[in-house]
Amino acid sequence: MSTLTTNAEAVTNAPDLEVLARPPQVLNNRNPHWVTGAVCSIVEGRTPLWWWIGFAISATFAGIGGACILYMIVTGVGVWGSNSPCFWAWDITNFIFWVSMAHAGSMISALLFLTRQKWSISIARVSEAMTVFAIMCAGVYPAIHIGRVWFVWFLFPVPNSYGMWPNFSSPLLWDVFAVTSYLTVSSLFWFAGMIPDLSVLRDRATTKIRKFCYGLFSLGWLGTARQWRHYEMMYVLLAGITSVLVVTVTTIVSSDCATSVVPGWHATIFPFYFMVGAVYSGSAAILTLLIPLRLAYPQLKDLITPSQLDKVCKLLLLMGSCVAYVYVIEIFNAWYSGNAFEKGAFWERFHGIAAWYPITCLSINLIVPQLFWFKKVRHCLPLVFVLAILCNVGMWFERFMIVTTSLIHDFLPSSWHDFHASIVDILTATGTVGIFFTLFLLFIRFVPVINMSELKAVLPGSQPDHPTGGEGH
Amino acid sequence: MKKIFQHPPRDTNPTLWRTQGEKEHTPEFAEGLAREFTAEATAQDQESGMSRRNFVRLMGAATALTGLGLTGCRRPEAHLVPFAKSAEWTIPGKFLYYASSMPTPLGAVPLTITTSDGRPTKIEGNPLHPINAGLSNGSTDVFAQASILDLYDPARSKAISYDSATVARADLDTFLAKVRATAAGNQGEGLAIMTGSESSPTVDRLHSELLTQFPKMLWVEDEAISSSEADAAFDAVFGAGYRPFHDYEKADVILALDSDFLNPSASGLGSARGFAKRRDPNQAMNRLYVVENHFSLTGGMADHRIRVRASEIGEFTAALAKVIAKKTGDSDLSALVAPLRGNGGKFDLAWIAGVAEDLIAAKGKGIIVAGTQQPVQVQGLVLGINKALDNLGSTISVVQTLAKSPTAKDTFLTLAEKIKAGEVKTLLILGGNPIYTVPVRFNFSNLLARVPETLHLSLFADETSKVTHWHVPAAHYLESWGDARSVDGTICSVQPMILPLWNGISQVEILAALAGEKVDGPSAIRTSFNGYSKDGSDAAWQGFLRNGFADGTAWPLSKPSFNQSAAIALVQVHSPSPGDFELVFLRSSSVDDGRYAGNSWLQETPDFVTKLTWDNAALFSPSDAAKLGIKDGDMVKLSSGNRSVEIAALVAQGHADGSISAALGYGRRGVSHVMENVGFDVYPLRYNAFYCFHTGVKVEKLAKPPYVFAATQEHQNMEGRNIAREGTLDRFRKEPEFASRMDGESPPPVSIYPNPPLTSDLQWGISMDLNTCIGCNACLVACQAENNIPVVGKDQVRRGRDMAWIRIDRWFASADHSQENLAMIPMAIMCQQCENAPCEAVCPANATVHSEDGLNLMAYNRCIGTRYCANNCPWKVRRFNYFDYNDRPLDELYYGPLAPKGMADSLKMVKNPNVTVRMRGVMEKCTFCIQRIEEAKIARSVKAGASDVTKTPMPAFKTACQQACPSQSIVFGNINDPASAVSKLKADPRTYTSLSYLNTRPRVTYLARIRNPNPAMPGADMVGAANRSPEHA
Repeated sequence: MSTLTTNAEAVTNAPDLEVLARPPQVLNNRNPHWVTGAVCSIVEGRTPLWWWIGFAISATFAGIGGACILYMIVTGVGVWGSNSPCFWAWDITNFIFWVSMAHAGSMISALLFLTRQKWSISIARVSEAMTVFAIMCAGVYPAIHIGRVWFVWFLFPVPNSYGMWPNFSSPLLWDVFAVTSYLTVSSLFWFAGMIPDLSVLRDRATTKIRKFCYGLFSLGWLGTARQWRHYEMMYVLLAGITSVLVVTVTTIVSSDCATSVVPGWHATIFPFYFMVGAVYSGSAAILTLLIPLRLAYPQLKDLITPSQLDKVCKLLLLMGSCVAYVYVIEIFNAWYSGNAFEKGAFWERFHGIAAWYPITCLSINLIVPQLFWFKKVRHCLPLVFVLAILCNVGMWFERFMIVTTSLIHDFLPSSWHDFHASIVDILTATGTVGIFFTLFLLFIRFVPVINMSELKAVLPGSQPDHPTGGEGH
Repeated sequence: MKKIFQHPPRDTNPTLWRTQGEKEHTPEFAEGLAREFTAEATAQDQESGMSRRNFVRLMGAATALTGLGLTGCRRPEAHLVPFAKSAEWTIPGKFLYYASSMPTPLGAVPLTITTSDGRPTKIEGNPLHPINAGLSNGSTDVFAQASILDLYDPARSKAISYDSATVARADLDTFLAKVRATAAGNQGEGLAIMTGSESSPTVDRLHSELLTQFPKMLWVEDEAISSSEADAAFDAVFGAGYRPFHDYEKADVILALDSDFLNPSASGLGSARGFAKRRDPNQAMNRLYVVENHFSLTGGMADHRIRVRASEIGEFTAALAKVIAKKTGDSDLSALVAPLRGNGGKFDLAWIAGVAEDLIAAKGKGIIVAGTQQPVQVQGLVLGINKALDNLGSTISVVQTLAKSPTAKDTFLTLAEKIKAGEVKTLLILGGNPIYTVPVRFNFSNLLARVPETLHLSLFADETSKVTHWHVPAAHYLESWGDARSVDGTICSVQPMILPLWNGISQVEILAALAGEKVDGPSAIRTSFNGYSKDGSDAAWQGFLRNGFADGTAWPLSKPSFNQSAAIALVQVHSPSPGDFELVFLRSSSVDDGRYAGNSWLQETPDFVTKLTWDNAALFSPSDAAKLGIKDGDMVKLSSGNRSVEIAALVAQGHADGSISAALGYGRRGVSHVMENVGFDVYPLRYNAFYCFHTGVKVEKLAKPPYVFAATQEHQNMEGRNIAREGTLDRFRKEPEFASRMDGESPPPVSIYPNPPLTSDLQWGISMDLNTCIGCNACLVACQAENNIPVVGKDQVRRGRDMAWIRIDRWFASADHSQENLAMIPMAIMCQQCENAPCEAVCPANATVHSEDGLNLMAYNRCIGTRYCANNCPWKVRRFNYFDYNDRPLDELYYGPLAPKGMADSLKMVKNPNVTVRMRGVMEKCTFCIQRIEEAKIARSVKAGASDVTKTPMPAFKTACQQACPSQSIVFGNINDPASAVSKLKADPRTYTSLSYLNTRPRVTYLARIRNPNPAMPGADMVGAANRSPEHA
């Protein structure tokens, strides 16, 4: 970490220019000791009542979702609303929704880490947790959406005596590799970042069980210079790999659509489209998680600062504008292509009974992010929270629009048939939301939600040339 | 191995003893020592049948089995029982084919029946039969294809009953003997027999036999959809028993007046073939005018079509006749039309003038044909016009059919009167379902209650069986001996393919018992055969059975005589005026008059035009619907007098205003599971069973929630996409390749995926002729029967999950958006077997791959059901098993494992043993009948032996759809062989590929439809213009 601190000179060398000064990452001049206490108290304190209520609700939804999945597996995919021509609907919609949402987390923690963006440090841990849990939710669908779940191993290149070997030209197979590698790498990255913090919890542990558990997961961390040297090397490497995955995973997922012949899917803009949509929805998800977290644990208000949230809002604005660009260019291209099927797909998308999905999607995604041009909006956190939720609703509708409205209006109008979701579709989807929040609540209770070790390194006092001269060490 | 314990030797006088017996050493004690338990305990063991040892032994075995044998993980054991003695001629696994025929009121359908291990599994047309002359495939209609399912229907009646109590066969025999004895005593007074109008020489022979013995007996023929009006007209004009025979192959101009003559299941086989032969644009093409109230198949084929209410067809015909009479100056026709006055109907006079001119120009080479359910007035006028245009004797001949019926038969009206007068004591209803079909005004169930002895012979214990005293399960035609006349009079054999599954009895057996004739197998049929055949030898009889028909028994064609005064008398009978609305009763394309309502294949076959499954509907014209505020699915009440029917409405394109059409045969209750909650019964509104329409019907829109139909096609408009392509004859002559040029400029056909090598000498392809495809659905059901395609039920069809491998898309097109110039094009779509298949690239499990002979294969075992292939199929021909459709009751699909598993044993018997029955979670689709391809390839290899197999010709075989097609519009074959029919058709300039810009290179190509408009007709420039304005077609 010490190598990083020298880069903070820009802040420290211009103390007299208030306008150019970068806002501090920790407010109220907190010292490292305070930071440790503030973060660890969340894990070490009593479990608050709201946590139990939230956990009960989300675990119930997760349980119902699990029951729906079991019912689907023993009965048949027909319990969903999928039909011909809409062979995929909520299953792939939710898969894309979750896997895309994950991306903002990786981007904030890995890409911004590599580019030395210090403002991301205190929100990185939550973002990574969001990433890992969202991939888990996404991973539910490809595994169960198939007709014969018990043969899901056919998707993996497992040597066997059946002569089964996957077809490497199928984008679904690419998905399998993309999602599994993404889950592996982002989990490792998340866990690796936690090791020093877990050792802090171990050292502060008051019970034997806690000491043992945190001791187990902190992998014998002592904080020696040698350990730090190896650790940072590994962390940079993992960040590098994760940064690549930020770009590749969602573009591979987009090729499910882009490599097909379906009008409305078959477009070269799809990788970019999915990528920007992914970061957009992920930024919104991070805001949705951080704002209530600050409210629940007021001590975090000094660590997760309005200026950091403001930057996430700006990221959301940028990506939201890219998404808006894609919407426009997609419609333009459909018209400009002169292809009756492409034109038809977009024409039908906004007509008929299925028109409300794209209209919901467009009206949210074109308007809501643009509100973030205003600083007042960015700094009114209750409003940001509401808008962020709206953005994710809009993005869910976008995924749904892409998947279903293209399928239900394909080449031969004779095969057109509307899609209607079944109750099992809905409960499975809310079940994944339940899984997500169950995991997130567990995360809050058992893991430090902020990367203390990294954050302490950017405290004003931790920099030798800072006017305060390392006071507080 | 019971061990006997050897006691130590004992003292004779012991000092210690436990019982007196031991002390004295009595024999009882000695015996007791050797026993393990007392005699009482042993006796108790034996009484309960379970000894302690046995109990322990069983428990041990059970523990061992559950613990060690892991029986819980094994499938239940099943035993294969081989033939102890194989039947002669059979090779296990090979099909046997028999000729037979299916008797229908329209004439027998000659058949070749495939049997597998003694059970019939598939029905094909008999190509040897004269009505299939020139058709290499034979042909069948949709009902014949589906009839095999009726044979195995588990809902069929299985026992003879008297007043709902099951009785023995002997009781029935006693009853029939009693009836015979009574009839012999009083010359048959009080005995009435009611049958359908299937024409069978043996039934006719027994009928005359009975009449000789019991001259006062009443014999009634009744059909729900009868041709009495037409028959009455023909009897009057041509002479008793003479029926017209239309030779459509000879006709240059055809005018169909409310006649669906092209529909094989409404008018018998043969017409479509003759008509199709004249649709080749490279030869002299015919021209078809159609006047009708709703779109029929024939209307869809029309070059010019006009919408006229069914009840105004008479007036329309009169107007046409007047024009023709005036233009030709024909005095007979003038005399015929002179007394006719208009009824206020307004018709497009230019249209009438145009048709009249064209018909006059084609004098002697035209046909005017009226629907058989139009009143005698229409029939008389049509005959008069045909006579005036010299069509009688050239394109229309007559046949003398009296040979088929020994005496005039009474109609239902006579029966009703006699029952009312109390003159009927015994009524035998042999077939039919009069309680359901007879007009409500007769109150037939009350009439039946007045008859002391009633008997009903039918496949199902149906509405009529419930009110008759006797119910006798009928034998299906596939399990009984019989004979029947096909539409041309040729006598066909009906042979049993299997013993009656549930002890059914045939009509012939009952009639023979009444006539005192002993029936032993085919004896009654043989007796008839010896009667009509010149050669009664065993060899001739064997030939009759082998070929399925008796050669030379067709009715000879003769030139008709024309009775002018009778014709004048006919036209005096005015058809009723239409009133507000007329209701037209249609023959259902799925259930006929209701007789096939229990057949789930047919229920799930979409209607030709509306594409509804499992339902009928009241069809309204778009402008009437707009006026009445009716949308699809709205419930309406149709009423006439004091009778009314509630039915869901459907807006029907091309429907006449002021007219409502509804198919008969739906809304049956309480007979079989399949018939429940299916459609609406419109029989209660029928007044005159001989007309197809009823006038003065009132419509009331009901404030009920809309009814949800299960339609297989919801969007009727091609949206400017050139999917089905058509043009006019003129355009074709100027630009023969107009259809393929509609693709316009395409990007160069480059594929980035390597294509699988097509190395075989056999490369399969299909050419589908849109010009001759009438959209009759025969291919659909043929495919379903051949490929074990499951039925999914109404609820699943509503959800868009029907499983048909081949479907018929029906497009409506109107270049000017008007109903007047609306055209219909059916287009059969099956897997296109793309050489560069989009489905193959995306399957992660390699479950769909390409064969070296160009087939897009589906490996069910590898399929895990990602459904990506189906998403990526531009034609959406892939079907997914969302549930275990084969293994769960269709109304309990959602119960999953809680629903009972397994299908009825009898339904298993209908499955094609060469085709896998698919489980849930796998994708399926058309395979070009790969089982037939492989069978032929194996036969070729066997034939080739050591010689070069590629030089050995393939044995002739056809796909199921091709074999069923009555107009031969599907041609399958080897496209590598330039001499094959399919290669020749693919070289036709009309050939085009649908969605060719995708560069998937389909193996299925289409021949564009060519219409032959008459330039003098109004709207002639709108004919053949389905693809005219791409933005608005």
